[in-house]
Amino acid sequence: MRHAAALAALPLQTHARLRRLVLCGDPEVTWRRIMAGERVVAGIDERVWRAWRSSEGLEDTMGERCAESGIGVTWMGGPGYPAVLLRDPNRPAVLFHRGDTGALAHPRVGIVGTRAASRAGSAFARRLGHDLALNGVSVVSGLARGIDIAAHRGVLAAFGNSVGAPVGVVAGGIDVVYPAEHAREWEEVCSRGVVVSEAPPGTPPETHRFPLRNRILAALCDVLVVVESRARGGSMITVREAATRGVTVMAVPGSPSSPVSDGTNALLRDGCAPVTDVEDVLVALSLQSGGLPAGGPLRSVDTRRRPDADEQNLLAAFAGLPRTCEELVLATGRSRFDTGVALGRLEADGWVSHDNGWWEALLA
Amino acid sequence: MYAAINSSTLHGVFGAPITVEVHIGHGLPGFAVVGQPDEACRESRDRVRAALLCSGVEWPNRRITVNLAGPAEKRGGSTADLAIAVGVLVANGDVPAEAVDGTAFFGELGLDGSLRPSSGAAPLAFSASGSRVVVPAASIHEAMLGAGRRAVPAASLREVIAVLKGEEQWSSAAQHPGPEDVRAVLDLADVRGQHQAKFALEVAAAGQHHALMIGPPGVGKSMLAKRLPGILPALNEEAAFEVSMVRSAAGLPTPVAPGRVPPFRAPHHTSSTVSVVGGGSPVRPGEVSLAHHGVLFLDEMGEFAPTLLDALRQPLEEGTIRIARARSSVELPARFLLVGASNPCPCANEQVTGCGCTPQMRRRYLRRFSGPLLDRFDVRMWLTRPRTEAVLSAVPEEPSATVAARVASARDTAMRRQGCPNSLIAPSAIDEVAPLDAPARAVLEAGLRRGALTARGYHRVRRVARTVADLRGDASVGEEHVRAALGLRRELGDR
Repeated sequence: MRHAAALAALPLQTHARLRRLVLCGDPEVTWRRIMAGERVVAGIDERVWRAWRSSEGLEDTMGERCAESGIGVTWMGGPGYPAVLLRDPNRPAVLFHRGDTGALAHPRVGIVGTRAASRAGSAFARRLGHDLALNGVSVVSGLARGIDIAAHRGVLAAFGNSVGAPVGVVAGGIDVVYPAEHAREWEEVCSRGVVVSEAPPGTPPETHRFPLRNRILAALCDVLVVVESRARGGSMITVREAATRGVTVMAVPGSPSSPVSDGTNALLRDGCAPVTDVEDVLVALSLQSGGLPAGGPLRSVDTRRRPDADEQNLLAAFAGLPRTCEELVLATGRSRFDTGVALGRLEADGWVSHDNGWWEALLA
Repeated sequence: MYAAINSSTLHGVFGAPITVEVHIGHGLPGFAVVGQPDEACRESRDRVRAALLCSGVEWPNRRITVNLAGPAEKRGGSTADLAIAVGVLVANGDVPAEAVDGTAFFGELGLDGSLRPSSGAAPLAFSASGSRVVVPAASIHEAMLGAGRRAVPAASLREVIAVLKGEEQWSSAAQHPGPEDVRAVLDLADVRGQHQAKFALEVAAAGQHHALMIGPPGVGKSMLAKRLPGILPALNEEAAFEVSMVRSAAGLPTPVAPGRVPPFRAPHHTSSTVSVVGGGSPVRPGEVSLAHHGVLFLDEMGEFAPTLLDALRQPLEEGTIRIARARSSVELPARFLLVGASNPCPCANEQVTGCGCTPQMRRRYLRRFSGPLLDRFDVRMWLTRPRTEAVLSAVPEEPSATVAARVASARDTAMRRQGCPNSLIAPSAIDEVAPLDAPARAVLEAGLRRGALTARGYHRVRRVARTVADLRGDASVGEEHVRAALGLRRELGDR
């Protein structure tokens, strides 16, 4: 295992070179042969060989690093390589993972979208992630800002009654949390599902790794849902990768005037199926995996504490718009202290959210 | 031949008594000042000579040595002029030595012998020893703040000489009216709406919790901050005295009767670090000291120099600021309530749907003052542009007096209970003074588990919750108080 990790972590390593090295056979044998000075594959520069040969001891460093962070390693043809990737033409030669790869055995739906998501988009991604998890679907996403993290937050919120585990596909090393403010979600996805990456531990999330990450994400999905996307961007790369693999791509319709829905609306125009709730996705999924779950799709079961009568009134006072505390005080006629406390309670239970002085009701 | 005159010198905002020794002896005519005088004091040589000549005194053409004896720091300043002049007169025998017994002198001389007002008259007079302190007439009201009826005014050196020779009496202080405290106390009722922010300010005032306001331009951040002194508890005698001392030392007009309204200082964001924390030579108090017992308001906090914001950490922690120099260090009082204000993002343009700034841009903008300083803000409020119905609503706004009464009673409760405002409750004492009931504990523990609250934040929230309970007159801290405190401590850049 540590030899496969070391092969991936060699200096001047590229995707193509690694692939050829791993195809040689047992990584441990290949590693020893390289270190012994043998040119295991043809067509590689002497300069590269020299750099590789001077990497003696890398297997131990990598082994330690992986063990430290609880990262597992597998490779094409090695034990534990995800079956779903086996038939992929451009599969990662070496795959690092942290968590239980069993999550990949469930039906998988990717939820992707822009990092600069609208609130409505984030809320929808969150609810879709939540409802899919309740129906035993593993939600695959990239742990990026915006739609990605919203979807996984939804999955994590559903946990406890769900069977679908979250799957994170990341661009850098699994021990390099990016963006840093998602450290908590990152950790939780590792413990409740799995995070996979092609990059050896310690690799910074460089720009060029993201399109490569998107191809793995696309390859892991049975269905890919784009919640919000501009006309160009990472999500559209994922969509193209999915299309080449025959993965069903679905899109969430948005307002024509919203720039963050340009991409998704274009997808719909091109013939993608629209997603307006979890059932749309489950139907699409069932066409591939044979029927809906017995008893029909499991709708969102609200596990939140039921608000009491006063809190119901407060929630009703939102009337579907973001509100300030002032407005809620005026609308309900309750004191500002009581309103503030009630909002705090509702927020703790997930009924409302706060951003820069604005409150929003999160109704089911 | 020899004379010793009492005087005092300014050291930061405190005066220190010094003795000016003058010796007139044989030798080549000359005039030397020894005893670590500063530049202004070396120049006093020429001022004293001119002033004495203009006052009709013959200058002794002999060897004159002046020694400033007192605490070891560099001393002097132009305020030793009068003492030196009197010393020369006494040593030369123009004035009997008994006449200056028990009398201290300070003040800068003009070349014509007039006495100039000096900054720091209050602390100088306060520290001067003796039963009488002669001060420049223009500074008499300030000096009286420090020395009471011991202070006597003198308009010129000629007047001083006449009195010392027994030809005249000291004039009365009453002939020199000082400025009144003309600061208008602004009323909270002028701000329509923004009830949440007003409540947050009330909590900040009652518990002495530092407060941060985030909101787009024009929502009333500065308006609210300026009204904070009006709801803070009035200064007690001792605090008012300290405030006057600092104002006097900084050379600001100092009201005759020490004002009971806490000071409010709002340095501009282009201010230099020295002007805000104090410094210079001689060391002058900065804005943080002028805000002592009052409010320091930093508008556009993100625009202040990072080094300046860092320099605020010591006063926030210790209530004083120490300015260390190679030869001496000066400690200035600086216990203030810090109120910061900032726009939520660089474009400063708020819309319900969010502005064009990306989350990264917002985060970067707010990160400018994040970290240790941000951690000191126990009360954080988000202000939003009021919609018309809130502005136009007929609900009468609460006047400052009503709020101030609640604040004062809450502060009283706190002082009786633990002898300090709630923000200064020691972590070891918090369980005793702010015990939590089971539901309140559960709320906080859920916050800790979710990672929404750090261990430090935990204690701070409990202090704010204590203040909220005090404001509502509740003896114990319950769930609703903790919720309210958590609501006042939202992280920046949530999203």
